[in-house]
Formats: sequence, C-alpha cells, structure tokens
Amino acid sequence: MNKSLETIVTDWVADNSKVIDFGCGDGSLLKSLADSKSIIGYGVENDPNEIHGCIKNGISVVQQDIDQGLSEYKNMDFDMAIMASSIQCLRKPKEALQNILEVANQCVITLPNFGNWELRTGLLKGKMPSSTKLPAKWYETKNVHMCTIADFEELCATENFNILKKVYLNRRGNTSWLTDYLPNLFAAEAVYLLGK
Amino acid sequence: MKVRTEKLIFDESIKLESGSTLSSFELMIETYGELNQSKDNAVLVCHAFSGNHHAAGIKTEEGKPGWWDQIIGDGETIDTSKYFVVSVNNLGGCDGSSGPISISPETDQVYGASFPEVSVKDWVNAQKALLEYLEIPAWEMVAGGSLGGMQALQWSISYPNLIKKAAIIAASSKISSQNIALNEVAREIIRKDENFAGGDYHLQNIKPKKGLKAARMLGHITYLSEANMRKRFGRKLQSPETKIDDEVSYEVENYLQYKGEQFAETFDANSYILMTKAMDSFDPAKDFEQDLVKCFKQIKAKLFIASFNSDWLFPKEYGKDIQLSAIKAGVRSSYVELEGDYGHDSFLFHSDEYAVGLKNFLESNE
Repeated sequence: MNKSLETIVTDWVADNSKVIDFGCGDGSLLKSLADSKSIIGYGVENDPNEIHGCIKNGISVVQQDIDQGLSEYKNMDFDMAIMASSIQCLRKPKEALQNILEVANQCVITLPNFGNWELRTGLLKGKMPSSTKLPAKWYETKNVHMCTIADFEELCATENFNILKKVYLNRRGNTSWLTDYLPNLFAAEAVYLLGK
Repeated sequence: MKVRTEKLIFDESIKLESGSTLSSFELMIETYGELNQSKDNAVLVCHAFSGNHHAAGIKTEEGKPGWWDQIIGDGETIDTSKYFVVSVNNLGGCDGSSGPISISPETDQVYGASFPEVSVKDWVNAQKALLEYLEIPAWEMVAGGSLGGMQALQWSISYPNLIKKAAIIAASSKISSQNIALNEVAREIIRKDENFAGGDYHLQNIKPKKGLKAARMLGHITYLSEANMRKRFGRKLQSPETKIDDEVSYEVENYLQYKGEQFAETFDANSYILMTKAMDSFDPAKDFEQDLVKCFKQIKAKLFIASFNSDWLFPKEYGKDIQLSAIKAGVRSSYVELEGDYGHDSFLFHSDEYAVGLKNFLESNE
C-alpha cells in the first residue's frame, strides 16, 4: 500500500472511529489505523489470498464482492468508509458512491487519474494508456470505469457529493507544486474526503 | 500427539435451562497435546449433534478416526504440538457423559426418557465447569461446526471473559423452520418405531433401531450436497454381491442403508431427540428481546465465521447474518465463504482455503 495514503487517512480519521475499508487488500491500512488511532476496523475483500492476509494480521474482514453489497453496511454506525483504488473497478461507480455515503458520513475515495500526462502520451501514440502505476494491458485490466480528476470532480458537483478535503499526488506518491497547479495533468492519484 | 480419554465426575449440581436440575453429572472428555505453563494454549472443540468426545486420532479399540481428525493433530490446522485441545461429549449424549443411557444418581435407574431436556447454553455451562476443573483461565479458542459452532457462539455470549476466539463454522444464530421441520420428521420416525415404548425401551431391553436408522438416512441426505451425491454415486447400480438388502437397487441406497444401520447400532434414540431439540431451541437473542445486535454486545472474543457454498442445510446466509450483526455490535469478526465439496458436512473435512483460514485465525495475535 501507498505510504502517503496511510499518512493522509491517519490525519483525517478521528481516534476510536469505526471504519470500513472496501477493497481492503491484506488489511494493512486498517492495521496501521488500529495501531495509531485505535480504530475498530472492518475490511471487505473478495480475494481469498488477501483475506488470509487480513486474518493473519488480526484484521476483521468480510468476504464479499463490493459490487454486490455496499448497502448491507448502512445503519451500522460507521464513522468513516474507505475505498482506495477500487471505484474505477466497479460496475456502477455512481451508485456505489451514493451507497458508500450512506454507510458513513465521511468517505475516503482514491482515484487513479487517467488525465495524467504519462497516460495522455500513451494515447497520443495511438495505444491504450499504461503507466508505472497502471501497468495492466487493456485486455487484463480490472478498471472498467476510468476517469480523470476533472471527470470525478464534475460528478461530485452534479451529484452533490461534498468534497471536504482533497490531496493530489504525483507518481511517487508525493504532493508537489506541479500536482497542485495542474492536478488533472500532473497528478497520478487523487485522494478525497467526501461527505454528504 | 498425546491423547488422554477420561470420564470426569462433577459432584456439583447443574441447573438446566428447562428448569430441571442434575444433582451431579459426568463428562466424557478426550484431550490432545499438552497445556503449556502459562495455560494460554487451550482450545475447546465442540461436537455437532451426533458427534462425541472422540475428535482426533484413531481410537484403537474401534479403529475409528475422530470426527475432526483432518483438522486436529501435530502440524495440522489446530496444531497439537502448540495447542492443548479439549473435546467433550455433551450432556444428553450417549458416549459416556450423563445422558439417557446413564444411571440417574437419584433413582439408581437408567434415565431413559426421563433425562431432562438440554440446551446449547446448558452444554456451555457444563463446559465451563470443565474449564474450571482443568484450571484453565480462559480458552484461547472455542471452535465447532454446525451445532458445535452454535456452542462456540454461545460461549462468546455467556462467558465473554473466558474465551479469546470463537470459530463458528457452518452454523447459525438460530435455525430455520425448514431445519426444525426436518428434525421433527426424524423424531417422528423414531417415536413411531414400535420399539420406542415412549422412550423407555431400555426397560424392555429393546431398541428402536429401525426408526433411528431411517431418521439417520434422512439426516444424512441433508448433510451432503446434491453435487456431491451425483459425483459419488450418480445412478450407479449396486452390485448384487455387495447388496446390504434385496430391496436395494442403487449405490446411494446401499450407502444410506449401511450408514443408517451402523448409526442405529451405536447411537441412542433418546439422545437423538434431545440433541435435535437443543438445536431447534438455540436462539441466543431470546434473552435480549430478540435483538441479536444487543446480544452480541456482550461479546469480547474475536469471531471467525465460515460458511460453505455447497451447504443447503445451513446456507451461507446464516453465517453472513451472524457477521452483519457482529459488525453492527462492534465485535471483531471475520466472515469467509468457502467452496466445500460435501455440503453441510464440509466442516468436517480438510480443504486448503478452510484450513488456512482457521489456522491463521487461531494463530493470529490478539
């Protein structure tokens, strides 16, 4: 997992929060939040190997396809929901965002920015874009709803998803004046804190 | 693996959920491995409805492997070179613990039909007496499948400070009316056997074996998946030389006849009725205004909940429901859906995903 995502979320989450991480991988983000902020965390994951990792790490995890059951977690008093690098893999990302905002008042969404210059160069060459952060070929990528920072923020505006905080990162996972100046061109990833 | 089998006599009374009291009781137990110095490596495994204390290893006199032999052993999922595993025949059973075939200390007669109704909670209370007898401060884990998983769940509710982890496998927080219906058909078959004699067949030295056999045959079908039966038997005909009975045509019939007969020889009909009734009545939420979330707020242990896709008797929704209530209650808990080739019985057999999950859970830090 990206070190800076961990730092950013650690900053945003309150002590002793109840947190759910959709697409939690091996649970390392939840583990780190449990250690630093005493959160009670739950992961949702569908890959058996990642699930084994969570259980080994002592992280609570539910085996489930995120596409199928975000709404099961409404009314469970979650303070924060996290969806890191999964939104573009979902079949219905808009509905997923609506649902996740009903799971918790505050949601962390991270987004690989398909407007990044490296990907734009790829497309200019007449090839489907790939980069160090998004290396998969078109026929094997899990990303079915790719978008740029501009696209995502437009969606948030039309749907009234409130962007409470945001951080733009370059491909090394750092903030810089360039990513802040022209995020849609220079940021490789954006991290948002959304609210209703 | 060090194995010890022992009958323990508890010279203390136990009040049962039904209101009856046993003035003293006996528990047949088997243990595997050794308790460490800090006494923090004890694991209780709870048997399903027709199981007993013999959970692992081969019993020499019968040559019969224990019901969880594929899971418990040196280097196995529940590693007896690290953990001290305790297995107990539950109250109301027929393998050495106080039950319908044992002698009542009050009347000096066999209990028979007079053995009181028992519940999952009663079993957990008896197991708590066992914990104290063994001078173990707390179970590192309580684990079981089916009715055994219900005991693990009840442990975490009844004695939150005496259990660190609960593995609840192919289980439910209460069974469905379809489950109760199947149990009732089995009980009815037993009760209508002409040898049942109102449950006091021991007085006439007879046994309702026919009823018990048919009940088990029905039960056995519900423990297997359709796919498993198709793969194992298909529509193959039983060869004439190996037919158990002239009535038999297909292999599956022969198999059920054989299994049913074997079961009727060793199991007790009153125990069958008591055990299935304990399963029917299990509903921990009933003490908490039918609110499972409120009930789960008692829990301090970490839970591992597993269901099998091929299990149609206790379908995976049962496990998922436990998990969702646990999350709502803020209980640390994980839920996995396993493939399982054997239907409800999958919990008995080693499969990779299952074994890795359970082992990781048991060996994970607090």
